[in-house]
Amino acid sequence: MPDVTLIIDGRTVTVPAGTNIVDAARTTEVAIPVFCYHPKLKPVGMCRMCLVEVWTPLIDQATRQPVLNPDGTPKLGLMMGKLQPGCVTPVAAGMVVKTVTDKVQFAQRGQLEFLLSSHPLDCPVCDKGGECPLQNLTMQFGPSTSRYDYQDKVHFEKPIPLGDTIYLDRERCILCSRCVRFQDDIAGDPVLGFDSRGRSWEIISKSDPPFDSKFSGNTTDICPVGALTSSDFRFKARVWEVRPVPVVCTHCPVGCNITLDMRHDRLMRVMPRENDFVNEIWNCDKGRFGMRHVDDATRLTTPLVRRGEQLVPASWDEALRVAAQGLMRVRSSAGATALAGMIGADASNEDFALFRHVMHGVLGTPHLDHRPGGPADVALETASARFGVSSGTNLLGLGTGTLVLLVGADPEEEAPLYVLRLRGIVARGGQLVTVNAHPTKLDGSAARVVRVAPGREAALIQAVVCGILDGGAPMSSRARGIDRLRTSLKGASAVQLAAAAGVEFEVVRALTDQLISAPNMIIMIGRTGLAQGSAVSDAVGALAAVTGAFGRPGSGVIALNPGGNARGAQDLGIVPGEGGLAAAQYWDAIARGELKAMLVAGLDPATLGAASASALDALDFLVVQDAFLSDTARRADVVLPCAMLPERDGTFTNAERRVQRSRQARQAPDGQRAHWQILQGIAAALGSDPGYSVSSDVTDAIAAQVPAYAGARYTSLGVTAGDWGRQANESVYYDGTSYTNTEGTGVQLPTGVERDGLPPVAAPLTPLTGGVPTGTLAVLVPRAYDGRDWARGSKLAPRMVPPHVIVGPADAGTLGIGVGEPVTLTSARGSVTLPAQIDRGLAAGTVLIVDVAGFAAADLCGGVITSVDVARGEA
Amino acid sequence: MLGAIFNGLRTTLGYLFRKPVTVEYPEVKRPVRERFRGRHQLKRFANGMERCIGCSLCAAACPSDAILVVPAANDPAQPNSPGERYAATYEINMLRCIFCGYCEDACPTNAIVLEHQYEISFYDRTSSIFTKELLLVAADRGHGEIPPVLAQLDRRPSPPAQIDL
Repeated sequence: MPDVTLIIDGRTVTVPAGTNIVDAARTTEVAIPVFCYHPKLKPVGMCRMCLVEVWTPLIDQATRQPVLNPDGTPKLGLMMGKLQPGCVTPVAAGMVVKTVTDKVQFAQRGQLEFLLSSHPLDCPVCDKGGECPLQNLTMQFGPSTSRYDYQDKVHFEKPIPLGDTIYLDRERCILCSRCVRFQDDIAGDPVLGFDSRGRSWEIISKSDPPFDSKFSGNTTDICPVGALTSSDFRFKARVWEVRPVPVVCTHCPVGCNITLDMRHDRLMRVMPRENDFVNEIWNCDKGRFGMRHVDDATRLTTPLVRRGEQLVPASWDEALRVAAQGLMRVRSSAGATALAGMIGADASNEDFALFRHVMHGVLGTPHLDHRPGGPADVALETASARFGVSSGTNLLGLGTGTLVLLVGADPEEEAPLYVLRLRGIVARGGQLVTVNAHPTKLDGSAARVVRVAPGREAALIQAVVCGILDGGAPMSSRARGIDRLRTSLKGASAVQLAAAAGVEFEVVRALTDQLISAPNMIIMIGRTGLAQGSAVSDAVGALAAVTGAFGRPGSGVIALNPGGNARGAQDLGIVPGEGGLAAAQYWDAIARGELKAMLVAGLDPATLGAASASALDALDFLVVQDAFLSDTARRADVVLPCAMLPERDGTFTNAERRVQRSRQARQAPDGQRAHWQILQGIAAALGSDPGYSVSSDVTDAIAAQVPAYAGARYTSLGVTAGDWGRQANESVYYDGTSYTNTEGTGVQLPTGVERDGLPPVAAPLTPLTGGVPTGTLAVLVPRAYDGRDWARGSKLAPRMVPPHVIVGPADAGTLGIGVGEPVTLTSARGSVTLPAQIDRGLAAGTVLIVDVAGFAAADLCGGVITSVDVARGEA
Repeated sequence: MLGAIFNGLRTTLGYLFRKPVTVEYPEVKRPVRERFRGRHQLKRFANGMERCIGCSLCAAACPSDAILVVPAANDPAQPNSPGERYAATYEINMLRCIFCGYCEDACPTNAIVLEHQYEISFYDRTSSIFTKELLLVAADRGHGEIPPVLAQLDRRPSPPAQIDL
């Protein structure tokens, strides 16, 4: 858009046409006070706080020429003869804006007097006090006294719960509608609305359960008064008493930047920290309200060592020695291949480096894994590292011309913040296509929803690849291996593959056209896709190769590997080595007597099912590093208590391969140690102490040894790449209480293409032309609120998803199942009876089983897709 | 020579017959001024409720960081203080306190008042921390008069403190 030049308070500003006056003023450090306007939301002009004088050149009606003063300058007239709201008035050439005239100040004083006429002035007990725009703007622009009688204030019942996590105080609300607009436009959960009129005008929740959104916490950040406060932080501390410590959330692969607000050594609240490349100024409720487990009373405090049937407390020295001796004893009697290790995907890169050092370097076993060893384990994929997304990709900058293809992915449950990011791309003119076997929330934002048969996502992508290769479409990809890819698909046609995917060929053709014409394409694979072997990720890689969607910012593959740092685990070699077994194969290997000892860090495989539990029982020696006495830890010979997120320093790599640093917020309450410190202790007891003293020593060692991580040292991770335009004066309060990022936005690792300069290779595919599977298929779907360890002590506890089965209306009708009634699923592995939910969007022959705590998935499912018999259950 | 000695002792001898200015502390205690700032008290409203609402403004105002307030939500059935919030923990470290009275000035409900008690000594450092139990006046005593500072300045307390005025 062309630029427009105008004058604001005597300063000449040039901004793109269409910019509003408030934003234009920001660029020249003129602060226009606002309440309802928010730079991330559409302006509505409700609060009238941004009234300014707008002077425009007068046009002579007869000649259509500007009227000139005697000195030749254009004559100006006050727009509409009165003050204008700056947030809804676009800039125009020659405009002169005055923000500090008497008239403007009179309006600002009057406006604040009106807003405060029914505000309770209970700032001393208000959780917003100290970071409240209404407080600040009243001090700066408001009158010192009110002409209204204090006794005349409107009173409502104080605070009413708007949901499990949010309280609404209607007395304090100034009805700016920021929360309503956030839920409607950004979160896509339109659960809030206005009710009544006049002085009874109020915000209500329209959903059941109330405020049913995974992003509800953000409304408390952008609320310009204390009307919306979180139940999690209610009366915990005053905001000026807390010490914000920048950390990275490890609940999901997004890697949101957050701060832990500490008072002394207690966690008071979690707030988002601004990072345009990752989470903008938002975070999800799981990250915000799901950190209370760090102060849980049941945390392990001392190392435990098995004496007979009992686990008894032991000193660190003793426990580490026993652990090292036990592992060494098994190694000398049964060989290195009788040892196996697994470490959870939310550990830091430093933990992974030490884990590999101990298990592979010192003990020499090839059996390493970061996956939990259950039916939903993802296959190792290389597409996202080979094809990108390229460094420099920022989803915030993408819009028109970008196509996002979701394959077997449900970001709302796997990586909630991507919902906001992808909806943002759609709002800016991009297109979203979802390819799933079941409905997901993002279907509502998608330009095209492709419903495939369960487990047939790969067939659909292959059909598209086949269509592009056969159709003679313009193909300018530089990828290598296209000819081999073409040969590998020789036996199949797009029509056959579409039929195999259970999708009409017309849909595939239309999708193919859509993909070819998109200048930028981002393909996101979710857990359901990744867990189907490498078929989906290979097909997606091939699609990226044939469409040329790689090697430039804004194109490529994003894989939502479960866990906060699965990308780092794969990069740092926590994957089965030469001849190594994957975690899911461990249990059979133990039963066969091939594996005799294990080290399990931050995972609880005993809860997966009977096979893994009995396998863990059968081990000769088991070392567990965990924060809680999990079912796995109960079976251990040595239990080593680990430090949790606030108590450790480290780096984490997110799904877009951005390495970010998390800081230590406090000392571990009982001397628990970070995984890497524990592992270093075991290494020392084994006689191979690498001798790191602080976490950054390990980070430096990784940077020196792993080529991709060469740029990821603390110094480069700490660089802050500018924020998105706060006002000059304390204006954090105008945009929300999200913290400014002063600790660095992280470093995006280069793709293979960028490192060696060679185009990526498209792997040959095996065409999946088999017919659509008959019988009922159960899909094991992830849930964000899965009720695992992170939910301890959380305000979200009532929202945890109980184990249940979701059936479609057709199947429910055939079997005569109603909502909440028991359903029995029987597979080759076993049988389970769970209550039913009905999803109207689910096709016949597909049922969904939620993968949550309390359901031993491995007892029923052999993989993420399982063939089952469905029957009405006995009550 | 002798005359000079008597001359010098005259002043001394003169004081022998005057009333002494010292008092026999601790048997006798000298009264303090109206605005003397001594040991703190946490006042109550006339209905017996705590005036302190746990807002931590005293702690924010304290130049020597002597005050710790940990707030909590009132049980609506049995509130400790009017409104939603009260101080679950209220501690003043008397070793750190410099008796400046800023806390009194900051308090929106006139809950904390520096009273006239000045005998604040202890045998160990831990007993220098005065807890809420020590600071809070008995339920039947010390109700919400305007603190002397405000009374002298002829200033009305802020709205929440006006409940019993």
